[in-house]
Amino acid sequence: MTLAPARPTGPENPGPGPERPGPENPGPGSGPGPARPAPVLSVRDLRVSFPSEQGPVQAVRGVDFDLLPGRTLGIVGESGSGKSATALALMGLLPPAAHLEGRILLGGRDLAAMDDTRLARIRGKDIGMVFQDPMSALTPVLSVGRLLSQALRVHQDLSRKDAWEQAVQLLDLVGIPDPRERAKAFPHEFSGGMRQRVVIALAIANKPSVLVADEPTTALDVTVQAQILEVLRLAQRESGAALVLITHDLGVVAGHADDVAVMYAGRIVEHAGVDELFARPTMPYTARLLAAVPTAGSGVQRPLLPIAGEPPSPVALPAGCAFAPRCAVARDVCRTTEPDLTAPAGRPGRVACHRAQEIADGTLDPAGPAGSAVALTPDRAAARRTPGEVVLRVEDLVKTFPVTRGALLKRRTGTLHAVNGVGFEVRAGETLALVGESGSGKTTTLREVLRLRAPEGGRIEVAGTDVATLRSAAQVRELRSEVQIVLQDPTDALDPRLTVFDLLAEPLRAAGADRTAVRSRIPRLLDLVGLDRAVGDRFPAALSGGQRQRVGIARALAREPRLLVLDEPLSALDVSVQAEIVNLLVRLKRELALAYLVVAHDLAVVRYFSDRIAVMYLGHIVESGATEEIFARPRHPYTRALLSAVPLPDPQRERRRERIVLRGEQPSAARLPAGCVFVDRCPLHREADESVRTRCRTERPSTVGAPDGSDHRYACHAL
Amino acid sequence: MLRYVTRRAAGWFLVIAVATNATYFLASSFLDPRSNFKELRPVRTDEQVSRALAPYNLDPHEPLLHRWWDWLSGVVLRFDWGRSPVGVEVNGEIGHRSLVSAQLVIGATLLSVVVGVALAVHTASRQYGWRDRAAQALSMALFNVPVSVAALALVLLAIRLNEQAGWHFLYVAGERSPDVEGFWATLGDRAAHLVLPTLTLTLTGYVGHHLTQRSLLLDVIGSDFVRTARATGLTRAQAIRRHALRTALIPTAQSVAFSIPAVFTGAVLTETVFGWNGMGQYFVQTINKNDVHGTVATAAFAAALTAIGAILADITTVLLDPRVRVS
Repeated sequence: MTLAPARPTGPENPGPGPERPGPENPGPGSGPGPARPAPVLSVRDLRVSFPSEQGPVQAVRGVDFDLLPGRTLGIVGESGSGKSATALALMGLLPPAAHLEGRILLGGRDLAAMDDTRLARIRGKDIGMVFQDPMSALTPVLSVGRLLSQALRVHQDLSRKDAWEQAVQLLDLVGIPDPRERAKAFPHEFSGGMRQRVVIALAIANKPSVLVADEPTTALDVTVQAQILEVLRLAQRESGAALVLITHDLGVVAGHADDVAVMYAGRIVEHAGVDELFARPTMPYTARLLAAVPTAGSGVQRPLLPIAGEPPSPVALPAGCAFAPRCAVARDVCRTTEPDLTAPAGRPGRVACHRAQEIADGTLDPAGPAGSAVALTPDRAAARRTPGEVVLRVEDLVKTFPVTRGALLKRRTGTLHAVNGVGFEVRAGETLALVGESGSGKTTTLREVLRLRAPEGGRIEVAGTDVATLRSAAQVRELRSEVQIVLQDPTDALDPRLTVFDLLAEPLRAAGADRTAVRSRIPRLLDLVGLDRAVGDRFPAALSGGQRQRVGIARALAREPRLLVLDEPLSALDVSVQAEIVNLLVRLKRELALAYLVVAHDLAVVRYFSDRIAVMYLGHIVESGATEEIFARPRHPYTRALLSAVPLPDPQRERRRERIVLRGEQPSAARLPAGCVFVDRCPLHREADESVRTRCRTERPSTVGAPDGSDHRYACHAL
Repeated sequence: MLRYVTRRAAGWFLVIAVATNATYFLASSFLDPRSNFKELRPVRTDEQVSRALAPYNLDPHEPLLHRWWDWLSGVVLRFDWGRSPVGVEVNGEIGHRSLVSAQLVIGATLLSVVVGVALAVHTASRQYGWRDRAAQALSMALFNVPVSVAALALVLLAIRLNEQAGWHFLYVAGERSPDVEGFWATLGDRAAHLVLPTLTLTLTGYVGHHLTQRSLLLDVIGSDFVRTARATGLTRAQAIRRHALRTALIPTAQSVAFSIPAVFTGAVLTETVFGWNGMGQYFVQTINKNDVHGTVATAAFAAALTAIGAILADITTVLLDPRVRVS
């Protein structure tokens, strides 16, 4: 079978969403239709370059698109594809050193030709922007009401009082509870989700006709992401603005965009309506990207197909098509001439590919035949057949932190219950994933395991040894080689001044290995993680993100541990690289009979990668069980909400599926409710009868097994 | 806030008390007023010296603890900080000189901060532009000019200007003219005398503020919230002034508050060149003349300024940074 990425429906069924365009309303660039409204924003041949020591970095190389009023254009791409530089260019917020060419036409004016003073009159008034990281996007020393009223007064002649009044209304609009009081609060007094609402309020304050959102939900938890996307949709409706939604998350695009532009190496390589693009991707890169992205959705699991190689460096672009080195269907012409973005006959949308016509005609599979050869299907059956011995056993783990007040004299004013009675087992050859939102105690649990000291409460047993019984430093050191960690961001986790050889030699030397042992071991380690032996001489800076994470894994494996602790091992990597690392980790687990304890927030990745899942909320495991069981039959209301919040990279299903949007945010672990920790946000609690509601309020639910007798367990009164 | 300040002030008061008493013992053991009489002819006997010093509570034959107790009761009961070996009252000296220094220091400090921060904002917004580089070069050059050289250069320049103008409008010495009458005339005369010393202190003092504030600002200019501010419709320069500077000012405000005692007693060279009788000169004189009580009082004065500076630093931090809230 050749690769067929996500083709749930035929082209005859374009998905009649209420305000969605069908194929009869084609993407821009496919020729002027008779009734086509005039675009609010037109970008023509946009080019952005930055000077660097290796010569100019061409971040954006000729981007064209039109944005129609009230519509949403999704721009997707991996890091370095030029999508953020495009966004900043639209706003006139590029750093001073950047060089900008082309035209950005907004309401008849060319923004690209304006200086900062003239641009400032347009920024915020006609075009607003929502930024990625809400934690740093707001001035820390000004109250949010003041930020908003300042933004209003920049463009409107308002008295201070009127501006404040409007600011309060805006906060109300974006869903900040008690806006009149909260307007006086400072950004640090808000949670991440609430801050992002404030950022959105800032962007729509003066009712701009165009909104640019650059990765607006990437830094947020998945249930908060769902809320923020709703707010963004609402804001767009209220202001009637057209939206440029920039993201790497194909699920977000599938649910929220009308048209999609896929960027690769600074260019748009495919531009089409969202249904068309997801159903029948034409550009090989799009097709491979869709096949590489994991989905959390129910139904048959399709294999995860990595794209070989890595995105090209923007200082050393290949001569022809930038994707040609990674493309399965590239021809000689692809390596010499860069294709233009054109509309293939019989297809709406535009594609930059020499073989677009063949693909459009259906005579060529854009992903090529090579894809299926390295397909990964998680081998869960094998894992179940051979249950290894227990490598990590955690029972009733408790960890608290003191809450202190006062800058000079610290007084303890409360206790933060970070982890509260958590228990689980991990067996050899098995992956347990701890999932949950930030603040749920996942990372604290990992740290407690890695600490190898007697925990504050409960028991931790590593490789059959209770860590509380370790008496000497030598014993701790010995046990330390059984547990190793792979960190989230490989760029930060590797000392930039050590070569890969030294990085890998360090743990070996610490274990007392001699020179010859080190020399013979390192090439084998590099082979193990699929790196070329020549990489040993290089510094981390010379490696790509995927290679660095491989080095991180090799370093963790150097001492031949039995348990590998992985803290968000994939979240810093691009989608196309992620799939390869997932494959590597699964292979290593099988070959070396490793046990993995993974912390991850991306449920879609977790599904491909773990055998069992434990869902954490406020320091408690609320549900645990086999991965497929949890995804197919989630019981706990929190798990259900969490799973339903993950956007699916499939516009049809994304629009149809039922979403449980949780109210509010996870409360602070310093004030745990007396009963069930989830009670304040629980949809079941609201519908339950009085006796159950009282129990939810007063009694912490105990963990019970599912009636089918499997190891699926959950803690809920209402089930 | 008031409670917090009171608590801090009480703590500082304790520190000042301990430091001052410790200084009394140190000064009494190092400074020997008897040596002031060694040069005198005819040679004074031990007896005579003791009799001369006894009225000022400086007689070395008296036990140290005894002298200390007398001094301390004087300070506590009558706020009398004692007398110099020749009988001049310390209270009067410090009262007069601290006012002289205040005239000199307050203006110069304010000017240094304003000039330094303004230059920092201007240059940080144009990092690596020619104006940034020029200002940086000038500041580095001034940083390396000793105060005495700068002061003398200004004096020479002023004399030249006075000659050219044929009118004595820049005063190069003294804090006032002796024969001026009337309120406005006195004020004008004082201000004219202040110009050159203030200029000296500003030229040598602004540099630190310029260079540190510039780098503090550069750390903040690239941050996301400045970009957000620009996205709402501010120009780069406006966003830097309204959003970046407010955040980056916090460390500067603290360092200014803490530098107050140092400028008060540290302007010795400027005071000497321009013939001002300020605290800096007094500090040096008291030590030279084995004036135990004067030295101790100067130390106590500096300690009190440090306390005031520290409390001011706390208050400005709380005002500027809402993230710091006192309980």
